[in-house]
Amino acid sequence: MKTEKNLPRNPSSIKTRFAVKFLQAMNKMNKRKNPSTSMAVKYKRYQFIRAAATSSMASAVGPRRAWSRAVLRKMRNHTAIHRFPMNNKTRTTRRFPITRRKRSSILRGNPRQEDDLGFGQEDDLRGLVPGGQGMDFCRLLSETAHYIKCLKTQVQVMTNVLHHYST
Amino acid sequence: MDKDYFMNAEIPWNGLNNCTAEQSFLEPNMDQFSHFESSLSSGLSNDAFVLRELIGKLGGGAGIGTSTTFAAESHPFTNTTNDSSSLSSPKLNFMGNLVNSVPLTPPPPPLPSLSTDPGFAERAAKFSCFGSRSFNGRTSSPIQPLGLNNGDVALRSSHHPLMGNGKLPRVSSTPSLNKLQNGSNKILMEIPISRPGNGNGNGMGFGSDKKLSKLSGSGANSNEESSVSEQIISGETGSKISNEMSSRKRKVVSKGKPKEDRSTSAKGVEEGEDGNAKRAKAAEIETKNEEETKGACNDESEKQKGNQKPPEPPKDYIHVRARRGQATDSHSLAERVRREKISERMKLLQDLVPGCNKVTGKALMLDEIINYVQSLQRQVEFLSMKLASVNPGLDVNMENLLSKDMFQQNTSLPQQMYPLDSSGPAFYHQQNVQQLHNTNISSGPLVDPLPLDAPNLGIHLPSVDGFNESISQFSAFTEDDLQSIVQMGFIQNPVSFPVPNQTTNMKVER
Repeated sequence: MKTEKNLPRNPSSIKTRFAVKFLQAMNKMNKRKNPSTSMAVKYKRYQFIRAAATSSMASAVGPRRAWSRAVLRKMRNHTAIHRFPMNNKTRTTRRFPITRRKRSSILRGNPRQEDDLGFGQEDDLRGLVPGGQGMDFCRLLSETAHYIKCLKTQVQVMTNVLHHYST
Repeated sequence: MDKDYFMNAEIPWNGLNNCTAEQSFLEPNMDQFSHFESSLSSGLSNDAFVLRELIGKLGGGAGIGTSTTFAAESHPFTNTTNDSSSLSSPKLNFMGNLVNSVPLTPPPPPLPSLSTDPGFAERAAKFSCFGSRSFNGRTSSPIQPLGLNNGDVALRSSHHPLMGNGKLPRVSSTPSLNKLQNGSNKILMEIPISRPGNGNGNGMGFGSDKKLSKLSGSGANSNEESSVSEQIISGETGSKISNEMSSRKRKVVSKGKPKEDRSTSAKGVEEGEDGNAKRAKAAEIETKNEEETKGACNDESEKQKGNQKPPEPPKDYIHVRARRGQATDSHSLAERVRREKISERMKLLQDLVPGCNKVTGKALMLDEIINYVQSLQRQVEFLSMKLASVNPGLDVNMENLLSKDMFQQNTSLPQQMYPLDSSGPAFYHQQNVQQLHNTNISSGPLVDPLPLDAPNLGIHLPSVDGFNESISQFSAFTEDDLQSIVQMGFIQNPVSFPVPNQTTNMKVER
């Protein structure tokens, strides 16, 4: 398992970027405090790590992808709201109840042409993928593909980190 | 008594106030219509039925606007000042064209006789086109309608700037009529198409079809109409027609239609029924939307346009349905491209998601994808939980970690079975992680929580059908992982790991 140090194969891959950012976040968290491991603290830490994982993944991906943009926007809004709880205007979350495709299809009078076989899968998918509300189905699929890829790398990296920690 | 008198008086008074025109308008129309019906009944029962619907729609469903417009129009049309008669007369005249054309079988041009007013003539043209095309000309020959067209052409050219093509070949409706009679009760409207005259073609007007559906107001009818028309019409003309229909309104209409055509053509081979259903829905919704979005005037103008198109010299008939081959208009092309894009992406996703190769069809694929994304997200959550509990205050050597990360790529699969639904609460039940972490896993008897995994596992498993392989892998693999997890007391809560009994030997120390 523990091998010699080798250079990362692709220093600029998403994986590397994510790993770097995630570890930085972890270090920051660890430096922050070192209290006894109480439940509440652990839970907070868990939340922090989860948020760190998501946001570091999103920032590693960059603004190129709709889902990463949505995640970053959410993080920014979240911090803004938490820092300035009185100010509700910073909320910029997208509020499109109807997706572009649905809107256009409604305008055109066409029922959903693609895929909606009545099981609500498309809606489920939109709910799962961050930022999936405002795009058409085609775009949603490509975003999902990229999102799956990133989730996989995330899981890989986190597992490796965990292994490193636990061994 | 007085009250009754007042009541009686009031009601009609109110009626008069509110919708005098319409009521009086409607009733005589209905009467007239019934009269028409009888006249039309000769061999045109179907058409009469549709006509009835049409008129009913015009009178009622089309809305007050139409009725008022009719009322307004009545004056120029006829010299009668009588409301009912005047109101009814336009309708009568409208229908008159139809009616006249029908019983008169010979060519048409009741229009010219009636067209005292250009506006009326337009409207008459619309309706005559609507009716006469389907009823009239076919009896004699496709060219018959031309007689009407002469008058209409001028109108049309003047009133139909949207018709990009000067020539709007006519669609013969005789065969369509026959087919209608044979088939469902639909009126096939003609659409001018630059197609070699096809008397046998189905005179299904593309736009008029839409209008008809609008007028009839019944989605089912429109669907059937479109389906009938599509069945009868060949693909080439359909595409041509849609290309030629450059009018704005036509385009709105044609969006649905070409899609319908496309769907029928492309899917006729593939999905057939789905395409029809979609087409029907598209037609229905589109027509309804059109109805909603446009006012009475628009309706009229649309009808006008629709009617104006057919009256053109009967070059050809539009066969909207593109059964054979594929429609080549821009809309269908775009739609096809879009569909191909989507199938491309689905293939990509299939490669990404394990276990999707056996699954065919979009719905199942999407289910798999959704499950996979959910499981990945849960995995991330679980890992973060683990990390939170494992590494309090451990400083990490970045380089070491990175290098290790680059090499440790084999952990993806086994991690798939981390159902984290109950892992949240697991945290709260966790105790003395430090101690647990430091303790060795002793091969003691199973702790209570472990057996709980089985039922939990059973519960969780069904949701992740595609990951049975990973489950087995997981169970075979992660003894270490299990141990670490167990140490944290996760297993105290039903975290439902596929824990084989051998590896569950541990003692939760407190």
